[in-house]
Amino acid sequence: MENIIEIKGIRKVYRVGSEKVVALDNIDLSIGKGEICCLLGTSGSGKSTLLNLMAGLEKPSRGEIIIKNIHVEKLDEKRLVLFRQKYIGFVFQSYNLLPSLTALENVGLPLAFKGIPRRIRDKKSKQMLHSVGLTSHNNRKPSQMSGGQQQRVGIARAFVGNPEIVFADEPTGNLDSKTTSEVMNLITDIARKSNQTLIIVTHDTNIAKYADRIIHILDGNIEKIEAVTPLGAITN
Amino acid sequence: MKSFDLIIMGLKNLFRRKTRTILTVLGVVIGTAAIVVMVSLGLGMNESFDEQLKQMGSLNIINVTKYRNTPEGAAVNSKEIVLDEVAIANIGAIKGVQAVTPVMESYVKLVSGKYLAYTPVLGIDAGVMKDFDYSAGEGRLLQEGDTDNIVIGSIIPQNFFNPKNQYSMMGGPNQKPPVNVMTDKLQITFDMMYGEKQRPGQGGTENTKPPKLYKVRAAGVLVQSNDWQKNQYIFMDITHLQKLIKDANKAQEQGGNKGMGGIFGNADTSKGYERLMVMVKNIKDVDGVQKKIDEMGYGTNSLGDLRKSMQKQAQTIQIVLGSIGAISLLISALGITNTMIMSIYERTREIGVMKVLGCKLNNIRQLFLFEAGVIGFFGGLAGVLLSLLASFILNAVGKGIMNSGNMGMGMGMGGGSRISVIPPWLAALSIVFAIFIGLVSGFSPARRAMKLSALEAIKTE
Repeated sequence: MENIIEIKGIRKVYRVGSEKVVALDNIDLSIGKGEICCLLGTSGSGKSTLLNLMAGLEKPSRGEIIIKNIHVEKLDEKRLVLFRQKYIGFVFQSYNLLPSLTALENVGLPLAFKGIPRRIRDKKSKQMLHSVGLTSHNNRKPSQMSGGQQQRVGIARAFVGNPEIVFADEPTGNLDSKTTSEVMNLITDIARKSNQTLIIVTHDTNIAKYADRIIHILDGNIEKIEAVTPLGAITN
Repeated sequence: MKSFDLIIMGLKNLFRRKTRTILTVLGVVIGTAAIVVMVSLGLGMNESFDEQLKQMGSLNIINVTKYRNTPEGAAVNSKEIVLDEVAIANIGAIKGVQAVTPVMESYVKLVSGKYLAYTPVLGIDAGVMKDFDYSAGEGRLLQEGDTDNIVIGSIIPQNFFNPKNQYSMMGGPNQKPPVNVMTDKLQITFDMMYGEKQRPGQGGTENTKPPKLYKVRAAGVLVQSNDWQKNQYIFMDITHLQKLIKDANKAQEQGGNKGMGGIFGNADTSKGYERLMVMVKNIKDVDGVQKKIDEMGYGTNSLGDLRKSMQKQAQTIQIVLGSIGAISLLISALGITNTMIMSIYERTREIGVMKVLGCKLNNIRQLFLFEAGVIGFFGGLAGVLLSLLASFILNAVGKGIMNSGNMGMGMGMGGGSRISVIPPWLAALSIVFAIFIGLVSGFSPARRAMKLSALEAIKTE
């Protein structure tokens, strides 16, 4: 299987005052195309940092991140924006919908950033909202929706541009257990259906079970990699 | 991102925080209105100055005299200055000059039968009268070769009175003049006592011969204008006027007033003329032409001088007024900046999300600049509307005050002049300026928004 993400010798050191904090020590990791991968670790383990590095939101202190044969760590701000536009979708823990926009407009936002005309955008967004199970919420503002509904909108927004990679940072962190399983089923289903790579960051072992492969992170290093499905075993 | 989407998004953001947006816009409204009203007062002042100047004569005319004031104010006597035909030719050759005429002034009594009228007379070059902005209401202007033809100022016909009838002077401007200057016989005399009752005790003049009367014909009457000179003077050819004055002087001397030569005017042309009048074609060239004539060594003056000093005065007032307006606009600019910075703090997360979702950095900057510009635009637009209203009220109220003031003083100065003038360019310019202020105020917040770290913005608290 072809690897869509290659991480080689990544180290990330933060400076807090005069002290150095090692967030990531030395990470090597490959993630295959269409794989659902979970970064599992406790708070402060460095799992979020790893995600941020992959998304280009932070620069590593050392090492290489190659996504779709692009050295992400070498891109400047402008190119990173274009890179994210093209390949990356994002699901946030706190949904992060724009409060002034309706559900439909929120979903269409990544398409708007690409310069896609409104008519096409709205059509795609509607389809997307439909596939996350929201049919009558097109014109609702985020403040008029429940957390689960908002996260569905967030998921629709992440997948609407059909990106090859979707990052989800604690996507169910603010949801109750019932909604959590709904959302997790939804997100993994969509990713599997269109062979998209999904990387989930969580501290919850129950969530991790939805993935093909679980990468346990402890104190900035990969503790162990656990294959859940046959697909995960292949990449391993 | 399409500009249309950007605009919609910006407007939505502004609309979301209505109160704050309205308050910020209100700041710009007040600032813009302050500046526009202040400038309009200055423009109104200029307009009324110009109107007043027009009553004093044409702004295009430069007077050239022999007496020259140096910048220090002392008369220069080192060189005799002669205003002769050569001078006329030289001045006439300056670019922008339309016509030059020598000028001679005297005072005569216009006689028609038993009616008399006192009037100043202006001798000018008959051939160039039409170049000096005169226009005839009846008949024609002076022409080359006119001698005893005169042109009469528009209100002269009303000045005729019958010295035998004391009440005839009360006629007022609306009564039909007793003399039809175009058809009735006209004569002029330089003797101011002509036709009046001889007062007793004027020993010196008892032996004088009867004053000489010179026959003239009216070639035309000028149209009424704002220029008092065109209303109050009679005009005739300068050479003929000189001849008449010479003759009258001679007669006076023979009549026993020897040694008092030239009491009716200096008709001696051997030393040139007293004064020249120069007509400049374009009012913009007046300054330049006047400077050139100055450089030739002649003394000059024009209404432009007065205009300049009036404008300078007006300018000073305008600057003071404008600064007051500028201060309020500056404050409103700070208001815009403040609003935009507040907005960034509020929307930090939003901006971060937009960045993570692939919004181009330029788009973020454009969004914030657009929002600031819209605040400026609406503020400017409302400000202009407000100042149009203020200007209307000022003019309506001010006109009443000014008119009653004029009536009290008994003069009709500046009849139609307005206190506040807002020409279209001022309205347009101030809206553009308000937008500009908005953009400038929004520039640094927009930059700040663009540079926000996406990661910091989306960090879960």
